[in-house]
Amino acid sequence: MPPTAIQPAKKSALGVKVPHTTTERLLILLSRYREASIAVVAIVLVIYFQLGSDGGFLSPQFISVVLRDTGRLGLIAAAEVMLMITGEIDLSLSAIFSIAPYVMALLSVTWGVPLAVGAVIGVLIGILVGAINGIITVRFRVPSLITTVGTLFFLQGIVVSIYNSQPIVAPVEQPFNAIFGQSLYQPTDALLSWHGVTAFTPFLWAVLLVLVLALVLNRTTFGLHTIATGSNIIGAREIGVRTDRMKIYNFMIAGGFAAFAGIINTAQFTSADPQAGSPFLTLQAIAAAVIGGTSLLGGSGTVIGALIGAFVVASLNNGLVMIGAQATVSDIYLGAAIIAAMILSIQVDRLRTRRRV
Amino acid sequence: MNTQAIPPLAADAPVVLEMSNISKSFGAVTALVDVSIKLRQGEVLALVGDNGAGKSTLIKILSGFHQPDTGTIVSQGKEVRFASPRDARAQGIETVYQDLALIGDLSVFHNMFLGREYHKRVLGLNLLDNRKMREQAQVYLDTLGISIPSVNSTVDLLSGGQRQCIAVARSIYSSPKILVLDEPLAALGVRESAHVLGLIQNLRQQRQVSVILIVHNYNQIFEVCDRINFLHSGEIALDASTADTSEEELIRIVKSGLGRNAIDAAAAEVRSGPV
Repeated sequence: MPPTAIQPAKKSALGVKVPHTTTERLLILLSRYREASIAVVAIVLVIYFQLGSDGGFLSPQFISVVLRDTGRLGLIAAAEVMLMITGEIDLSLSAIFSIAPYVMALLSVTWGVPLAVGAVIGVLIGILVGAINGIITVRFRVPSLITTVGTLFFLQGIVVSIYNSQPIVAPVEQPFNAIFGQSLYQPTDALLSWHGVTAFTPFLWAVLLVLVLALVLNRTTFGLHTIATGSNIIGAREIGVRTDRMKIYNFMIAGGFAAFAGIINTAQFTSADPQAGSPFLTLQAIAAAVIGGTSLLGGSGTVIGALIGAFVVASLNNGLVMIGAQATVSDIYLGAAIIAAMILSIQVDRLRTRRRV
Repeated sequence: MNTQAIPPLAADAPVVLEMSNISKSFGAVTALVDVSIKLRQGEVLALVGDNGAGKSTLIKILSGFHQPDTGTIVSQGKEVRFASPRDARAQGIETVYQDLALIGDLSVFHNMFLGREYHKRVLGLNLLDNRKMREQAQVYLDTLGISIPSVNSTVDLLSGGQRQCIAVARSIYSSPKILVLDEPLAALGVRESAHVLGLIQNLRQQRQVSVILIVHNYNQIFEVCDRINFLHSGEIALDASTADTSEEELIRIVKSGLGRNAIDAAAAEVRSGPV
């Protein structure tokens, strides 16, 4: 089979460039290790708040608050990243975040259904909503931005009307609450006591699930086809990737993740608030994804970056208050951070393709 | 490239593909009317025609991307229906589209194996065997004499010629029975064109794979093809072996947009004078 008459061309003849300048080296690093660059930002932020709060930021009690917020935001952000890679977006996740635990608590107080069973039902509802979002988007060619704004209002309307907007007090069941969500770390807790550890379980769940998602994205056919779908949908279809299915599956993952995030949130607060997930939560998750290095253009993204991005957002929200700023000031920083992250991400991409590094 | 070394197609080479009476419309636009083509084992068939003549539609039907309104496809002696590109690939029909269907954000080796990935089991999980794919891609590209900076680099960082070579290499890799190349030389420089033509010539020499080639440069057609089908306004206007026709005749027919018989008839009419 090898055509012996044809000699391999020399590499220099085919326009291969070796990077020279420091700027180019920096660009390579930034484009290859996006997670690393956002991790640096996170560390700088922690040091800043730690110094500004006289050591209060890294106390177990305070950090358990930051990590609680990081966990629920990170789960939604990571799921959103998968969708953003396929070139779609889901704005209904906050409504799923509300409805799944609400159903769980409602089943528990009405018929005494165990929380674990209710939680499974809640997650299944999330997956089902995701499937509906996906099917409407793919089959009826409605842009996902519109589809999910529709389901957002629809679901939010349902969950609010069930009990006249009233929160339900969710029962505490062990070991369910120890596994999925416990009250926050108390000053009286010892760090290695039972409650000292279980206060962090929601965050640990988020880390675990995000790592699983990272594995799926980077090491499986599913992940490869997800990237192919968002990078070049026609090309992917021509080569036989089932792009429609890939989108629907990722909508389902997003729905399931949002439902789970809502359930651990309710387990912690022992209360199912029909308005627990305001649309603002989804927007913060998208902010975390973008800050973490995922662009909205499709074809690339990092779920680990999204989790670190969620930590940055949660640190900003809580840390600024701690060092004495107005609660609302954090939004100013958040807004600026999103735009800066997006500009940086697009510029790095452009320079990378132009210079072929 | 030594064209003398290419043996003529055996007279009894079996027909591997027969597309009969294919018609296709997109809404009000008629793309193909009653088109039939035949392809024999080891044959290299050139499909020529102006822009919009229906060439791409015809091969997208063959590759399962579009479904015909009417007509049949017989592959290896049995009638087939392709609901998707996967079905066509399963029948040994590989297509390199004009847009190459490469995924810019994925590495060269992931592109090579997209849709037929190698897996390994790790702790009961079915994970991608990236090392195997990387090695296989490297070995395979080396055998074809295709040089790229690295199989790890993402495709969006490669030149047009390199991409074209990767796309062709990917399609040959699965040892297809029928290979369809839609303008494989479109974006290539002289050196890279020669390379891709070399790959086709190589396949032709072995007479194992049948090739359908859409190409605009008629010079190249006579270099590597056995037969020519000229598609005009959705219909086949000429079906001739390259040995029986010449570049001049082909250009005349393409320019007039008429079939050979029509031109001959017109010429005879001119010779005999007005009636």
